[in-house]
Amino acid sequence: MAGHNDSSAVEKKSSDLSNDIPTFNAENLQSNMKTIYYSRTFLSIIGGVIAGILGFTGLTGFILYFLIMAITSAGLIAKSGFSIHSYFDSWNRVVLDGFFSGLMSFVLFWTFAYDIVHIF
Amino acid sequence: MGLGFVVGVFGVLILAHAAYSTIQYRGLLKITEEEFSGPPMNVVAELLLGLVFCMWAGLTVPGKFLSILPDSEENRIVSLPANLDFMSFNHRGKVFPKELDVKLKL
Repeated sequence: MAGHNDSSAVEKKSSDLSNDIPTFNAENLQSNMKTIYYSRTFLSIIGGVIAGILGFTGLTGFILYFLIMAITSAGLIAKSGFSIHSYFDSWNRVVLDGFFSGLMSFVLFWTFAYDIVHIF
Repeated sequence: MGLGFVVGVFGVLILAHAAYSTIQYRGLLKITEEEFSGPPMNVVAELLLGLVFCMWAGLTVPGKFLSILPDSEENRIVSLPANLDFMSFNHRGKVFPKELDVKLKL
């Protein structure tokens, strides 16, 4: 932990010196993005199933989606040990990326579970 | 991978059981001719438990984050051979006096 904090401090200093040109390992950034994408897709599917079983219709289901995505973002931040800038180049990567594609699979599984449980 | 995956499968199974008991509850309501207002308490508890398990699995199974800083400890060794094609040993440095080499080795 202390090592990461040290290196992030060093990184900040060096980027200040080189006129704010960010330098980072693009391969590892891409692998981190893939990890986040997997987490978000899986959890939006699970959230859709839960909303369907609970029998939500209309706005309450979307509120549940926002809630689950907020919990997921908090979990991802906790997973990175609260030092976002040593794993990602900006906050949007953690908080917003994969939000709308997750919404699509959420709605799909929401209607699917609702149909199975409440209609058939 | 192993433990998180098993926990995820367990969470999905709990969700499936919650769905099944909701279906049974709806059948019961159809017999007693009541309206569905909300799922019973044990289903809500199962859903919460399944959500917690799946959350844990979804956060741990896809893999660890890798540091993107070029000067972090795990990137230092990997980034060295990336420039191997551009290494040149046939340059003007060989005309420098040999004492400099000795100094560099120290």
